[in-house]
Amino acid sequence: MTWQRDDPVLYEKEKAEVEVHFPELRFVVENDLVYVRGSFAVMFEGQVLDRYSVELQLPRNHPTGLPVVRETGGRIPRRDDRHINTVDGTACALLPDERWRLWPPGSPLLKFFNGPLHSFFLAQTMVEEGEPWPFGQWAHGAKGIFQFYRELLKTSDLRVMTNYLAYLAAKKVKGHWPCPCRSGNKLRECHFDQIKELRDNISRKDAERSLARLKAAGASAIEMTEAKPPAPITQS
Amino acid sequence: MTADEYLREVLDSQALGDDSDEVKVLQKHRAAVEKVICDNFKDTALTIRYAGSKAKGTMNKESYDLDIISYVCAGDNTAGETLEDIYTNHKQALAMKYYVEPKGSSLRLKGCNPEDLGVDFHIDVVPGRFTDETKTDAYLYQSGGDKKRLKTNLDLHLDHVRHSGVIDAIRLSKLWRVRNGLPVRTFVLELAVIKLLTDKKKKSLSAQMKHFWTELRDNSANLTVEDPANPNGNDLTKCLDDNLKSQLAAAAKHALEQIDSAGWEAVFGKTAQQEKAARVEILRRASAVATPSRPWLPRV
Repeated sequence: MTWQRDDPVLYEKEKAEVEVHFPELRFVVENDLVYVRGSFAVMFEGQVLDRYSVELQLPRNHPTGLPVVRETGGRIPRRDDRHINTVDGTACALLPDERWRLWPPGSPLLKFFNGPLHSFFLAQTMVEEGEPWPFGQWAHGAKGIFQFYRELLKTSDLRVMTNYLAYLAAKKVKGHWPCPCRSGNKLRECHFDQIKELRDNISRKDAERSLARLKAAGASAIEMTEAKPPAPITQS
Repeated sequence: MTADEYLREVLDSQALGDDSDEVKVLQKHRAAVEKVICDNFKDTALTIRYAGSKAKGTMNKESYDLDIISYVCAGDNTAGETLEDIYTNHKQALAMKYYVEPKGSSLRLKGCNPEDLGVDFHIDVVPGRFTDETKTDAYLYQSGGDKKRLKTNLDLHLDHVRHSGVIDAIRLSKLWRVRNGLPVRTFVLELAVIKLLTDKKKKSLSAQMKHFWTELRDNSANLTVEDPANPNGNDLTKCLDDNLKSQLAAAAKHALEQIDSAGWEAVFGKTAQQEKAARVEILRRASAVATPSRPWLPRV
């Protein structure tokens, strides 16, 4: 699958929009993959606050998949605490499950640059200045997934969380199935609307992956999460 | 913040401690330069010492240097028969590893390799010969001017500045010189500050600087400086000619006007702390309206 050849109009549109707003970034096609490379300006009120040398590799299934981001200038240390993968140097600008809030699927690529990417590098600059992460940060791996769903579902019960994720990962959900909140009620009589909304927002693939990681981590995902759990789930 | 507190912050932001990157690099180069000199003059009992702003305590981040003094003993011709020979032989020896820029009595070292081509190492090598066995006074070769020999005394120079009581004013005046591109030699500027502030040592730093500039603005035509190591033999009038005096007077007038109209920051700019605070403030404002996305890391 090569999205740029399948949809050349989208390719030209994305390219034009990004290059107009970020004149120092260039679209390059190599081995049927689209890369965006150059100097990314962190802007505010028309002022360049900082610059980072970047490379974004757009996935073959763009705009469905997430771009792979790399800071190529070597300025950000390759460390977990800076959210740079020590193995391959990729930057982790966001948790895929949260994408719908930040850069919903189908949104223009420019929105990714002005949204999560801008925030990621702005945060890196602030951390470099000795400031805390301005938007907070997710813990790494399964811990971060646990934190996200704990906030989203307002439960720290791992069984409830995995129940929800199983429903988000399922091809279909039926109203007569038991509600994932473990109330004993049928789904249609309990959290059906919430499940429907979550299924609209979180992709099955992301839910499936997060479910697998939470199951693999098990209780350690909770134990290792230092923040105080929020209040138990209440029926919506 | 008072004017003196501000000036103190300016100086602090310009300070270069022994553990600073700049000084570490300087020390690394110093060892390499000393090795080049010693390897090339194996038969010569050289006296190698360090001077420059680091030794004088007048180092600023924006303008610093290290003088490496390389003197041969009186009567020793192994490094060259004449002062010019000693100077030229040092130049040739150093040219094997550096790009050497002749500068009056000294040799400025710059990078000549592809990775550091043209990089200024802030190091001047000063070749010379002691006048006698006491190893105090020395003769230097002067590459420019009519007089080819200059008598000097390193310790007297260092002591004159180090014990002047106006080190902070010297550092600020050096910063002022750099920021205004004034073509006055460091040593001449130091002597001018010391002379003009002779009776002002107990004044506040801001008062000293205002006095220094007022004197330059109003009386620069009458200003003369003397080399403490050789007041009669080393004529510094050429280093402080009428053209330079008028440039100094104009820059001093401008500085005083800036202080009156916009305060000290107009002269020396924001301090590092002020710049950092302003930067953090704008970053915070930017983050307040940015998409609140939290970074993650897939790997455990």
